Amino acid sequence: MPNAAPQIVALGGGGFSMERDSTLLDDYILSLLCSPRPRVCFLPTASGDADHYVVRFYRRFAPTCEASHVSLFRRDQGTGVEDDLASHLLAQDLIYVGGGNVLSMLGAWRAHGLDAILRRAWRRGIVLCGPSAGSLCWFDQALSAFHGAPRMVRGLGLLPYSNCVHYDAEPARRSEYHRFVADGLRAGYAAEDGVALHFRGTALARAVSSRPDGAAFLVEPCERSPAGVSERRLHVEFLGAAGARPATGARELAGDDPRERGDALAVVAA
Amino acid sequence: MSGSQRPVVALDRRQIFAMGGGGFTMEPGNPLLDDFVLSLADVGEPRILFLPTASGDTTSQINAFRARFGERACVPSHLSLFHLRDTTRPLREIVLEQDIVYVGGGSMRNLLALWRAHELDHLLVQAWQRGTVLAGLSAGAMCWFHAGVTRSSGPPEPIDGLALLPGSLTVHADGEPERLPVWLAAVRGGTLPGGWALDDGVGLLFRGERVERAVSSRPGAGAQRVDAIEGELMRKRLDVELLGDGPQAALGGFDEAVEELRRVNRMRRGGSIGR
Repeated sequence: MPNAAPQIVALGGGGFSMERDSTLLDDYILSLLCSPRPRVCFLPTASGDADHYVVRFYRRFAPTCEASHVSLFRRDQGTGVEDDLASHLLAQDLIYVGGGNVLSMLGAWRAHGLDAILRRAWRRGIVLCGPSAGSLCWFDQALSAFHGAPRMVRGLGLLPYSNCVHYDAEPARRSEYHRFVADGLRAGYAAEDGVALHFRGTALARAVSSRPDGAAFLVEPCERSPAGVSERRLHVEFLGAAGARPATGARELAGDDPRERGDALAVVAA
Repeated sequence: MSGSQRPVVALDRRQIFAMGGGGFTMEPGNPLLDDFVLSLADVGEPRILFLPTASGDTTSQINAFRARFGERACVPSHLSLFHLRDTTRPLREIVLEQDIVYVGGGSMRNLLALWRAHELDHLLVQAWQRGTVLAGLSAGAMCWFHAGVTRSSGPPEPIDGLALLPGSLTVHADGEPERLPVWLAAVRGGTLPGGWALDDGVGLLFRGERVERAVSSRPGAGAQRVDAIEGELMRKRLDVELLGDGPQAALGGFDEAVEELRRVNRMRRGGSIGR
């Protein structure tokens, strides 16, 4: 594999697990891959390797990609990838990290040495992406609000910023992120559901969205501001055709199957 | 609520029940081990918390727990570290108010990593020190010892536990024939301390660090203590009490397919059928 520039696509929310009616974000990610039939591996760790999530991944990617997944909970049972984790992951074009609990995911990754493998994958130019927990994990610091009071979680540190996802999903999220940055969390990026931050190396190259009004922000400490923080709205490109029907919001995703509805929410919660 | 927390108890009042396999996830038709777990609490309707962490919090384990304990004299609940959104109270409150914590099987490597990530390991030690009964099978049994043998990465290999109990433990000694030889070799070679090997259906009750009882839900299921002395293995069978009203009662809820599998496994290991 040629040594391409490292790339990360960090989704504030969205993609196949959260947007039933829109493929725009996943299509954008796939457009970054050179291979006609790219190798795409899914890491559902943050959901506890939930079967329904794995199934939805294959439904979305298996038709056009060499799709596989790695389950860290079933390594004794012959499902997922059996052989050497490193050689499998380092042979991919894209590693897609699912949403869920970022703290649990990072703990399990470190126990299996996946943190080091993913760092190598990134340096080799394998594209890394994911929504929610699958976004937070790439940053040096992340604001997690999965349980109880929001807290800072240390990610893999590939991107030297902080990160906040689902920025529009809860009214308190923005003020919490501002408070953390004012109190010493490093400057970083906040993304709403349906917005993807595309980094080349460690620099933000583009911000794109599956929604006409999807927004992303750069939040920095600022001594001159009374709140101690400044927020700048970034330019976000809408991926859909002008005048096209906007994608369904993640929070509106509600199937007839209550379990599936629960899944969507579980994935939203990072 | 700190008011509901118990005081620290003496070492010999701290109980751990470690099962080589069995209980509601493995013996849906046989409640003997799970009833024994409930009997260990010193209250009539114990609060029992299930931790399905090692499985990735699978719905099937949680449903099996509800099916087994939902109708019994207890207050059952479960804690899923992957779905903490459903949990509003601090983990500390939830864990320290329990009479029993029951840990399911799965990946021991992930179990310990997730507990550490959420600082649940410290809470469980505190719960034990305050008299909460710690119970579990497979990964949920080995985790309390200095070490165990896990298949978390595929092939069996030694792994460190929380070390509340001395020595090492290996599980499914009859049901998963590839695990026992790895443990025996590690004990013989000194990489693991001596300890216990438990068949499916057998549980060891520890009071403090001492084995008080070995009990079983299945006739014929065994337990052994193994130590290495100058490079030689000393193996000693433990006396195992069959729970329930004797062999007939136990057989009533016994899965014949499991017995068949165990027989085949014994044959594969070169042991005699029917022993």
